[in-house]
Amino acid sequence: MGFRFVVEPWTAAAPKRRAALSLCTALAAAGVLGSLVFALAGVAPGAAWLAMARGALGSAYSLSEILVKAAPLTLTGLAVALCCRINLWNIGAEGQFVFGAIASCAVGLFAPAWCPPHLLLPLALAAGAAGGAAWALGPALLKARLGVSEILTTLLLNYVAVLFMEHLYFGPWRDPEGMGFPGTAELPDFVWLPTFGDTRMHWGLPLALVLALALWWLLARTRWGFRARVLGESPKAAAYAGFRAVRITVTALCLSGALAGLAGAGELLGVQHHLQDGLATGLGFTGIIVAFLARLNVLAVPFAALLLGGMLVGADQLQTDLRLPGTAILALQAALLFGALLGEFLAGKRVRVVRTGKREDRHGA
Amino acid sequence: MLEKQEPPLLSCRGLTKRFASPAEASGGGFVLANAGVDLDLRAGRVHALLGENGAGKSTLMSMLSGWHRPDAGTLALRGAPLVLGSPAAAMRAGIGMVHQRFSLVEALTGAENLALADGGRVSARRTKELAQRFGLALDPGKRVSEMSMGERQRLEILKLLARDAHILILDEPTSVLAPAEISGLYASLRRLADQGRAVVLITHKLSEIAGAADEVSVLRRGRMIAHNLPRDPALADGWDMAELSRLMVGRDVPDCVASSVPPSCVLGAQDDGLQGAEHSETTLSVRGLTAQSGQGEPPAFADVDFEIARGEILAIVGVAGNGQEALAATLGGMERPARGKITIQGRPYDRALVAYVPEDRHGAGTVPNLTLAENMLLSTTRSRGAIFARGAGSRAARKALEALNVTASGVNALARELSGGNLQKFILARELSKGAPLLVVEQPTQGLDVLAVCDVHAAILKAAETAAVALVTGDPAEALALARRVAVVYRGRIAGVVAAGDADAFERISRLMAGLAPVEAALAEVAR
Repeated sequence: MGFRFVVEPWTAAAPKRRAALSLCTALAAAGVLGSLVFALAGVAPGAAWLAMARGALGSAYSLSEILVKAAPLTLTGLAVALCCRINLWNIGAEGQFVFGAIASCAVGLFAPAWCPPHLLLPLALAAGAAGGAAWALGPALLKARLGVSEILTTLLLNYVAVLFMEHLYFGPWRDPEGMGFPGTAELPDFVWLPTFGDTRMHWGLPLALVLALALWWLLARTRWGFRARVLGESPKAAAYAGFRAVRITVTALCLSGALAGLAGAGELLGVQHHLQDGLATGLGFTGIIVAFLARLNVLAVPFAALLLGGMLVGADQLQTDLRLPGTAILALQAALLFGALLGEFLAGKRVRVVRTGKREDRHGA
Repeated sequence: MLEKQEPPLLSCRGLTKRFASPAEASGGGFVLANAGVDLDLRAGRVHALLGENGAGKSTLMSMLSGWHRPDAGTLALRGAPLVLGSPAAAMRAGIGMVHQRFSLVEALTGAENLALADGGRVSARRTKELAQRFGLALDPGKRVSEMSMGERQRLEILKLLARDAHILILDEPTSVLAPAEISGLYASLRRLADQGRAVVLITHKLSEIAGAADEVSVLRRGRMIAHNLPRDPALADGWDMAELSRLMVGRDVPDCVASSVPPSCVLGAQDDGLQGAEHSETTLSVRGLTAQSGQGEPPAFADVDFEIARGEILAIVGVAGNGQEALAATLGGMERPARGKITIQGRPYDRALVAYVPEDRHGAGTVPNLTLAENMLLSTTRSRGAIFARGAGSRAARKALEALNVTASGVNALARELSGGNLQKFILARELSKGAPLLVVEQPTQGLDVLAVCDVHAAILKAAETAAVALVTGDPAEALALARRVAVVYRGRIAGVVAAGDADAFERISRLMAGLAPVEAALAEVAR
């Protein structure tokens, strides 16, 4: 006699209950695993959490920094969520982010003199979106035409993009007056995204929020969005209805790349102002966590981005106050992602404890 | 007989298995996969378990091999009660199953796979000896990835024999084999049975049992329709194949069909006979239609010709797996043919001219997680423009719900919340709302309760007043109840067309479904 757990599907669970359960599991898992990481690093978990909270919420400046991080995270989160709604796995938001930054940097650096300055900012943003989309086009075509896994192609192209960017700012695009530091020259200030007051918060955030709304509208209210949702829910139904899966797949991946590219452009034009080491800090990868924490709901993505932004800002405090390695935050993020996935798994299931029956007889008797 | 005194090697009594229905899980619905099934397996016999797809064959065998636990009923091994908690327990009791999809490690050799299965040493000699002892030709040093399907199957069987299995269950063993390999398999199975084992052959192909089996049992919709039918030495095939076919696919026609159909409709159809088709305009014409095929496989159907006139229902029947599924998908526009021509009202094929009710109601016909209003637009969204017409979808869905009396909480209900019958009526109403000249309905009443069957049949008959209808079904009784002509598909070809009005129509359809009609007769029918 004994007990065992039976996990069974539970489709009747109310959507709100599922969302709450999923979020709570994610946070609880991050709390438990994060404390474990802190303890292993030789820091009292309580002190570490407190330092993080102080670092993130302690001052007006830190609060504004959260919003600075939330802008690109919202966009990369949207990029990942859009693809996942159609059962595509865009793991390449990081590379598309980088290529967006490269493309908008090119506009800022090399725009011809006759080009009116007030046109350059919109042009640079558009170039960022186009650069991200172009970086996603290859994987999209390979997936749609030849069935090559987009997980592998988008993932591997991340490293290509980062190396290419390094080649540019170490090589041909390097600032000759940069005192030997690798990096491009600072972009002219008329292509900078305007900031609010004397914070680093820039117009990328409102832009990201508008795009979240636009993406919701696209999915919920347009014919293309309807077809994409049908394809994501049931490819067979899409085939029955005669929707062109190839076209929808390519469009969705490119749109996703454009969103990630815009995040890169925003980070370049709003915060960094030149291509340099420290531009590609994993905001594209973090977008995956944002998307899953938001349960692929595009309207929830900005909130998840705020949470992750808070974690990133708080983690800086961990480094300075407690001298924890910067990688500790990666472990925390991983814990959050596992928690979100576990929560998603549990939210659709019901766990029961049953007593095991009597053991089976051997061979006749 | 002596055997009667000896208890069967394995016997089941009243085995019952329910599964939570995915469609109606929210309402707590269940699918009865097996209901009170009795079966005896005796040593020395090859037993064929017949049944259509979804009849419950695999569920039954999964219970015998420990993968599922029965909800009710008992098993007895040589007369002693047996409870199986796991496949390992079944294996210890001497029961082993070869699944349709093999469980072999492709990167390892035959000898290594064998050692993996029975926990023994990796020994090419031992493997070779075993293979020879049981007459299963196998090269022990060959990697599985380089083996043919036949070799892999022999290795799977050998894995069971190495663990001393007395009862061997093979799920659709011939489906992966080339014709030449099938006779070899049968010879091996015969030898294993002669050595005192019980062998079970799960199949839905009637033609395969004649050469292989000693006994036949027939499952239909989870119930054992006939069990342990012995071979009749007086018959060439061993059994009356038409009778078996009837047992396998036949369903009782609900009483309502006759009453819900205006008498004139039924009688008129039968009186007109085949001449009626000549007078009226031809809506659908199919010429030389051949399906696309994978490497080395024959196409699902080939060189199919037929016509359907406006106001006519042509039934296309066949035992599952004979190509009518692909034919329906091609007519419905989900698959492209390799060759041949489909003409609708004299024009080349166009999706917009076809209303299609697919067999897969939950996966293809609707999207379970979208609302009825959205599902309404799945196949009817014809208007151009970027904005998707939600208002129009709601209005149209409301009309569809009213048209066929669909029970749903409203147009914002999710498709998965509807019962099978209501969902089918919704799909039918949606397709009818298109007013297309051709209606293709596939297995329209599979799994529905009697009342829903009546509604669906009435709606199809109503649609046939203005459109040409292709009714693809596995149920000859349904075909005869609705159609004027019944085309029988066997192995991808139209084996014959039977006029529904003929007195012996049911007999002839059953024979054709079993592949028993002479070819000349079939050709004459097609040529008309």
